Amino acid sequence: MYYKFSGITQKLTGSGPAVAYNPQGLRPAVPAEPPAMVFGTPTRVLSEAGPAVDFMGVNKVPDLQRIFQTTDGVPVHLKRGYPDRLLYRTTMALTVGGALYCLVALYFAAQPNRK
Amino acid sequence: MAHQAHPYHMVDPSPWPLTGAVAALLLTSGLAIWFHFNSTILMTLGLVLLLLTMLQWWRDIVREGTFQGHHTPPVQKGLRYGMILFITSEVFFFLGFFWAFYHASLAPTPELGGCWPPTGIIPLNPFEVPLLNTAVLLASGVTVTWAHHSIMEGERKQAIQSLTLTILLGFYFTFLQAMEYYEAPFTIADGVYGSTFFVATGFHGLHVIIGSTFLAVCLLRQIRFHFTSEHHFGFEAAAWYWHFVDVVWLFLYISIYWWGS
Repeated sequence: MYYKFSGITQKLTGSGPAVAYNPQGLRPAVPAEPPAMVFGTPTRVLSEAGPAVDFMGVNKVPDLQRIFQTTDGVPVHLKRGYPDRLLYRTTMALTVGGALYCLVALYFAAQPNRK
Repeated sequence: MAHQAHPYHMVDPSPWPLTGAVAALLLTSGLAIWFHFNSTILMTLGLVLLLLTMLQWWRDIVREGTFQGHHTPPVQKGLRYGMILFITSEVFFFLGFFWAFYHASLAPTPELGGCWPPTGIIPLNPFEVPLLNTAVLLASGVTVTWAHHSIMEGERKQAIQSLTLTILLGFYFTFLQAMEYYEAPFTIADGVYGSTFFVATGFHGLHVIIGSTFLAVCLLRQIRFHFTSEHHFGFEAAAWYWHFVDVVWLFLYISIYWWGS
């Protein structure tokens, strides 16, 4: 596979061999010599770098992945803890209460209308 | 977690099928109680339960896919087939309304005056607001494609902007349709013209609202970094759905608004 620099996307794209040997669209101000090497810069592991601030907020997905991938036997709908339990219990209470209320309402609706 | 030797997603036990089924029971019984006894308590209860079920079920699917990594390529393939089958079923849903429309309009009965639009019906001018609506939906199809390419190229800012633009165009369409309904010189009770017109365009409008909601969820997920340039099926499903709604509108415009007037 041969590559060329695309002037539209400003990225390398695939091309035929002829185009690769006659490159076009290269920026004129490309330095001819590589920049001097800098030694002694302290290396930081990615996890120590902290959350990367980006357009509109911080990426919390890695933290959430850590929370949701812990092996604790808790099903996915309760994994987040208290807020999940609150929502689940509210929904379950409405389910059971609503079903009973529905049966009562249908029972009374089934009674003949005696006037 | 025990090591699994296959790529499929073994789901956790979930309460949502049960709560969803009870929500359907409450909703249908609630409608009957409303019609017979003019009480909306049971129906409201059913609606609240349905909304709670939808919220938590889809929240769990996001958790399983984005946070737990269960949506492996074979699982994604299943999701794709599921969405394709769902949209196919929606196509046939709308086909029924087009069938009713053409059944009534291609051979208008003597009761209608033997003509279409029926005697006494003043249809909407297709080259006023409906044409603008066509342009708005086509433009939203462009912006949703822009959003898709932005996500694939990792252009976070552009993806957020184009997705916001798509949702705004969706809301603009809904607003224009609401105005058009308000101004229409006929009602749903005006014979087969009114029924076919409002049932077909009304269900389309409902689908636009659902599609806008689907895209809004995608915008929220995009802002929260859920989509990668390689894996963003939630967005793709929303885009497919949006294009489907767009195509249905084109058929509605050509058949009911233009040919039918």
